[in-house]
Amino acid sequence: MYAIQVRNLMKSFKQKKKIVEAVKGISFSVKKGEILGFLGPNGAGKSTTINMLTGLVTPDAGEIKILGLDPIRNWELVRNSTNVATAYEHLSDVLTVKQNLKVYAKLYGVKNYNEKIQEVTDLFKVNHILNRRANKLSSGEHTRMILAKSFLNDPKVIFMDECTVGLDPDVAEHTRQIILDYNRDRGCSILFTSHYMYEVEELCKKVVFMENGKIVKIGTPKDIKKTMTNQTIELDVVRNRPKLMSLLKNKGINFMCLDKNLISFQIDSKEHNLQNILNVITNNKISFKDIHIKKPTLDDFFIKLARKKRTKRK
Amino acid sequence: MKCYRVNALLMKYLYISLNRFDRIFDLFYWPLLDFFIWGFMTMYIQKVSDLNLISFIFGGIILWIFVWRAAQDMVVYVLEDKWSRNVYNLFCSPMMLKELTISIILLGLIRSFIVFIFLSIIAFIIYKFTILTVGILILGFFVLILSIFAWAVGLFISGLIMRYGYRIQVLAWSVVWIIQPFSCVFYPLSALPAWAQPISRMLPTTYVFEGMRSVLSGETLPILITPLISSIVFFILAAIFFHRSVEKAKKKGLLAKNE
Repeated sequence: MYAIQVRNLMKSFKQKKKIVEAVKGISFSVKKGEILGFLGPNGAGKSTTINMLTGLVTPDAGEIKILGLDPIRNWELVRNSTNVATAYEHLSDVLTVKQNLKVYAKLYGVKNYNEKIQEVTDLFKVNHILNRRANKLSSGEHTRMILAKSFLNDPKVIFMDECTVGLDPDVAEHTRQIILDYNRDRGCSILFTSHYMYEVEELCKKVVFMENGKIVKIGTPKDIKKTMTNQTIELDVVRNRPKLMSLLKNKGINFMCLDKNLISFQIDSKEHNLQNILNVITNNKISFKDIHIKKPTLDDFFIKLARKKRTKRK
Repeated sequence: MKCYRVNALLMKYLYISLNRFDRIFDLFYWPLLDFFIWGFMTMYIQKVSDLNLISFIFGGIILWIFVWRAAQDMVVYVLEDKWSRNVYNLFCSPMMLKELTISIILLGLIRSFIVFIFLSIIAFIIYKFTILTVGILILGFFVLILSIFAWAVGLFISGLIMRYGYRIQVLAWSVVWIIQPFSCVFYPLSALPAWAQPISRMLPTTYVFEGMRSVLSGETLPILITPLISSIVFFILAAIFFHRSVEKAKKKGLLAKNE
């Protein structure tokens, strides 16, 4: 059973007499109890997709099903079972944290809302700022208030759009743990977007990469990393540094001098074999005291996509 | 539609009113100022001429509150969510558009009644004028027509703001004052220039204030069924416009952008 099903979703906007295709017929699904990482560079179409799923933007074409239901026809049922957390949107600035949570608890029809507010504010550690106005909160406190709101109705599906922005590393880790616990204990499905790839790897078993309104990759973080064939090698060279530089140059490998001893270069395993390169280095009596091999990460995949987009624009 | 969601929205408006001094200040300050300026001027006119304008002017001021406060407050409280960037979370919640519409209508009505009661007491204490002289039933009928028309104005401007965003937020404070001169609040329809009279005749408010003056002068009240029906028609059209504007905003992605 799927929590979210999207088929051929399309959306374009008119911008200065030009039609911009924000989402170009994407299809994906999120299983019940799954956390799906929804990733891509700025302007890839992630937020537009989430906005269509939450009903804030009307799609031009395509089909959306949330918990097996059409969200337009079953508005109330779907809204009561879902929630949204995004650090960029606010609750009412004039209201205190408690007043805001009370209003939203009532909107979501939460029974025993005082107890529920106590529970979520304890969970996200915002109980000390309950009587502070939303416009007096720090960005981290504001984000935690939004997260607390998103858990008020015990949602079966949560749309989390960059919901950890502004949190310090300690609170961000605590928040990720809460998300994981909630997902495990309640079987809640989460559509999770973030620009922090380490947290995506920590939370999501599956990720979708979007670029220019299209899905360019779906898979596990491990599978996606496997598609990246480049690896970065950092050598702390003790002797014959100029020789190493000319060797790399001859092999057409780009390199960077990080300091007077440290040289970093990137090889593509399709073109070069690391073992062979290391053999050439040692055969030429280039000695090094340390070597660090950086395996490709999701960040690298992300950067590759973003650069590709920038190049296309140019 | 669920009453608890309308309650939740009303609770939000109550919190905003209680937390923001300017929202309470705004409720009493301008009507009171209006009251004193017109009151003193009327007393002066009465001194220098035989005209008895007090009941006409105060009746006009007190009844106009139902158009002014209701229409303006409905729009300001819609704008409040835009200023707070709360629209995103609000429209992602189970809240339905009709619940939002009903809550802003009720808010406008509640705030109008608060000012109405306040001004009625002040008018009685300072000027010994009571609006109840027109009769409770007739007063209720006037209030009904004016309120329905005010909701229509409020929904229409709210719709424009949903559709065009902050650019036109100045309308929240100005539209009511464009309608006022043509509504014959303080003077009879015959006092208007010929070109303005057809505009006035289209407004249900004109008939209410003309009716009020008739009753206060001891004449019989003209039949006000047509203005009641036209108020309802204006309201239905404005509600459709508001609904379509939100749909349009969703199509254009304006709700998500909070523009």
